[in-house]
Amino acid sequence: MTLAPQGNPQPQLSQAASRFRGRFRPRRDPDLPPERSIVALRDVTMRYPNGRIALNDVDLEIPEGDFVFLVGPSGAGKSTLIKLLIRDEVATKGDVFVDGENLGRIGRRAVPKIRRKIGIVFQDYKLLPSKSVFENVAFALEVTGTPRRLIRPPVERVLALVGLTAQARQIPSQLSGGEQQRTAIARALVHDPRLIIADEPTGNLDPLISWEILQLLLRINELGVTVLMATHNAEVVTALRRRVVALEEGRVIRDEVGGAYHRED
Amino acid sequence: MGTRMIGFVFFSLRRAWQGFWRNAVMSLAATATMVLMLMLLSGFWIIQTGLSAGLEFVEQKVEVVADVDPGASLDEINALVDRVGTLPEVSSVTYVTPDEALKRFRAQLQAQGRQDLTVYLDKNPLRGSIEVKLKSARVFGSVVDVLRQDTTVVSGVKEIQKLVEQVLTVTNILRTGGLVLLGLVGLTVLFIIVNTIRLAVVARAEEIEIMRLVGASDAFIRWPFIFEGAMVGALGAAVSLGILALAGPPLGDFMYGFFRVLPLQFGSLGVQLAVLVTATGVGLGVFGSWISIRSYLIR
Repeated sequence: MTLAPQGNPQPQLSQAASRFRGRFRPRRDPDLPPERSIVALRDVTMRYPNGRIALNDVDLEIPEGDFVFLVGPSGAGKSTLIKLLIRDEVATKGDVFVDGENLGRIGRRAVPKIRRKIGIVFQDYKLLPSKSVFENVAFALEVTGTPRRLIRPPVERVLALVGLTAQARQIPSQLSGGEQQRTAIARALVHDPRLIIADEPTGNLDPLISWEILQLLLRINELGVTVLMATHNAEVVTALRRRVVALEEGRVIRDEVGGAYHRED
Repeated sequence: MGTRMIGFVFFSLRRAWQGFWRNAVMSLAATATMVLMLMLLSGFWIIQTGLSAGLEFVEQKVEVVADVDPGASLDEINALVDRVGTLPEVSSVTYVTPDEALKRFRAQLQAQGRQDLTVYLDKNPLRGSIEVKLKSARVFGSVVDVLRQDTTVVSGVKEIQKLVEQVLTVTNILRTGGLVLLGLVGLTVLFIIVNTIRLAVVARAEEIEIMRLVGASDAFIRWPFIFEGAMVGALGAAVSLGILALAGPPLGDFMYGFFRVLPLQFGSLGVQLAVLVTATGVGLGVFGSWISIRSYLIR
């Protein structure tokens, strides 16, 4: 059942992983049509060309409107999971659904449309240093073919939502880390996405600012946007008591609502 | 569809322009490389064209010359000239009378700035000759035989076949060598330009990644870079042609001096060169961008 990399002894943790898999099997009704979940992974395995198995037989359902923490040590498969969701990679086995679309079956030309339904936020913000806050957010609309006259209203709306209206003319280097991350969140929101994926959004921020960013993501979630947040921030996860999906060695070892960062026995 | 297409083109052009100037150092470095490479290519092209024209000229010079027996009558000579003129390998036949031969000799002396001593001769010592120009330097056919057979008119035919073979071997080697060299220079130019543009694209990898993540389609990512590559190419070509236009006349004089007797037409060469440089510049810019951007698009 378990596929060990060639020659490597099966680590202890993995045995623990398979034990927990039985106990914390995700609440999944096999007959649930994927369109009722914004994200659905069915028996997904991701094996890279170099033979490394980043995800192994993963099942995951995220209903629309959920707020989910994705936790686990580095190399557990969080980044791979995110890459599969934005179809930067295609699963070697199993099906990945986003908003009812099977990402393994869609053509290349449909990929940008899927990505516009997903807003993505990174630890390092990924802002363009020479563009102002306004231009960085507008960029997402420009490069997806939005006519110029239709760009200003949504940009102003999301800048107001993240509280950066006053900083619209500044460039990233003039902003604090928290403001830069809020710019990135505004850019992620400007397409009116159904899902926000935040990959370590607070990784570079001090605790107080981290809480601000989290409050912002919670507010966005209250507006009906599903949020999937990968994080190492145990304090935040434990305090919020939201759904926690824990990955380890490419498997879901825990998936519980109201969970903490670490397993509580 | 129409307006969206126009919008897309304007978007791409605007982004190409912005991209060019936002990374001005990189873009200008790419343009400078483009200029240098195009100049190199043009230089080799000019040399190759000159060489090829020179070789053609040398080959045209190949002719069969028969010495005319002083005892032959004009009718006999004309009959032979007509006969040789009908041979399929021959492009033209001329009878050079002894007087004309003397005239040529004197003109030659004068051109070389030497004293003309022939005025002291009481009679013309030169013989007449029949000069046969061939259509192709390689094909003699029966020309030599026909001339030799007419022993009443012809006293001797110069053995030039062997010499011609040697000349042709040399010209062929030079011509092939020139083409190979031009090809090698072309390849080098291709690699250097593609690499330079790749550097300019890599410098903007993050921007491309952001475009991908926010859901830009391949066309929206690719075309601004293609236009930018075309801009680098066009600008490089314009600068190169400007330099060539300035350097052209002295270069032409030099070429004329070097190949001496060449009837080289620099007018048509200029047009050819302009087309070559512009097409190569823009083509390589576009090709380089296309190759470089490919790896960043949706897998």
